[in-house]
Amino acid sequence: MAIDALCFIGISRFGYELDAEVVLREFDTEGISTAVVAPMHPPHGDMATVNMELARIVRNSGGRFLAAVRVDPWDAAAAVEQVTGAVTEGGARALFLHPDEEHFRINDVRVRPIAERANELRVPVVVATGFHCVSEAVQVGRFAQWCPDVPVIMTNGGQLNISGLGQFDAELALRLPNVHILTSGVYRDDFLERTVKTFGADRVLFASAAPQFDVAYEKRRVHQVHLTDAERDLLLSGNAERIFGIGEVAR
Amino acid sequence: MIIDMHMHLDDVPSLGWELSAETCIRAMDEAEVDSAVVMGIADLPGGTNPGAMELIIDACDRFPGRFYGFIRLNPRHRDESLKLLARAVGELGFRGLKLHPVSTLAHPGEPATIALIQAAGELGVPTLFHCGDEPLTTPLSIAPAATACPDAKIILGHMGGYRHVDEAIDVAERHPNIILETSAMPYPEKIREAIDRIGADRVIFGSDGPVSSPALERQKVVRAGLTEEEARLVLGGTASTLLGVS
Repeated sequence: MAIDALCFIGISRFGYELDAEVVLREFDTEGISTAVVAPMHPPHGDMATVNMELARIVRNSGGRFLAAVRVDPWDAAAAVEQVTGAVTEGGARALFLHPDEEHFRINDVRVRPIAERANELRVPVVVATGFHCVSEAVQVGRFAQWCPDVPVIMTNGGQLNISGLGQFDAELALRLPNVHILTSGVYRDDFLERTVKTFGADRVLFASAAPQFDVAYEKRRVHQVHLTDAERDLLLSGNAERIFGIGEVAR
Repeated sequence: MIIDMHMHLDDVPSLGWELSAETCIRAMDEAEVDSAVVMGIADLPGGTNPGAMELIIDACDRFPGRFYGFIRLNPRHRDESLKLLARAVGELGFRGLKLHPVSTLAHPGEPATIALIQAAGELGVPTLFHCGDEPLTTPLSIAPAATACPDAKIILGHMGGYRHVDEAIDVAERHPNIILETSAMPYPEKIREAIDRIGADRVIFGSDGPVSSPALERQKVVRAGLTEEEARLVLGGTASTLLGVS
């Protein structure tokens, strides 16, 4: 069974939505046991409320969802406290940051307290990456230096570029040992294969990023890449188990 | 007949590209693709592989019926490019023109680019643009070329990339000479939407292979939930007409 390292639940201010029951049915069809889920940017903009709602959905999911707390760095100290509360009391297993939707630059010094709190709490950080000016891979790399003891995981292979021009910056960021990538939306087989070969299969995780991307198609993407069975197992589940402590849920 | 409208074949070690005919054939066979349009990575004339055209001619000769060449040209060398285009299509069997403004830095709406597109149209072959998220390549950047060359077929490769897909469909709706090509963009449902809005005869399958998988890219079309007739057109029917193959 596979683990989806990132999908989104709820209704987004930006015109998309995904219901927990709907995605679980799709996971059943696609052989996905568990997913790390983040809330969407809500129409009302109140992150604390959507994090609480997500925590309720996660509690009722029978262990199939793990929460990623999502905060808006413009909430300053309150954002840092939301991270702390969600991890220490709410059981969140990851922090999710979306520089494009929350309109901040990932390597802005105002984000640093959030990175440092994640580091203290030993909670991995997933960053929506590849967005021009706010979350280019090298900018995420700078952020990753502020939380060196936790995995920093870039969505979309660290890029959103159909010429492949983002690959070079993604590889620069991957030179930092705590930087990882998600497979969501990566159209270049050779980039994923090269990343595994150069940086190790333990640095790449399958994610659908649904509803932005299509669950079945994104899972097939991982099966299409030319890897050994052991490498593919790491991408599909082993890395997520290790990074998000998913085995601990079962225990 | 399954036709992949967007593959690359070139040998440019200085850029890290070694895309042989055999590599393309392996990827095509894995996807059960009958034929593919192939184009270089380097722009002619000159460029990082002056022998790019001969490489494609050789591949077409060695694998008859499997490859159809598009000549990739740089509008910055307007007169030379016009001559090369005429020769490639008129004498060497090339079936189209490829323009990649990221590598040439030529705007789709500038006079030299328009001259090449018009010449391609007069020769009866389409122009395939790289159409993604970068400056010079977005659908609205290419739209003026479609207006200026109403009798030429313009294909938007990648149909807008990651964040310009809605814009590509909108532009295609307003320009009947624009065709959308599906490679690399990651949204199966946008293929469905494009067909609903502009018709199945103006959406064509491509992979951007062999570095992206034609087999996976073909599945994107399957995931789009097309009727049998729509799938026939998207996966090869319209491409056959554009390429003039039976």
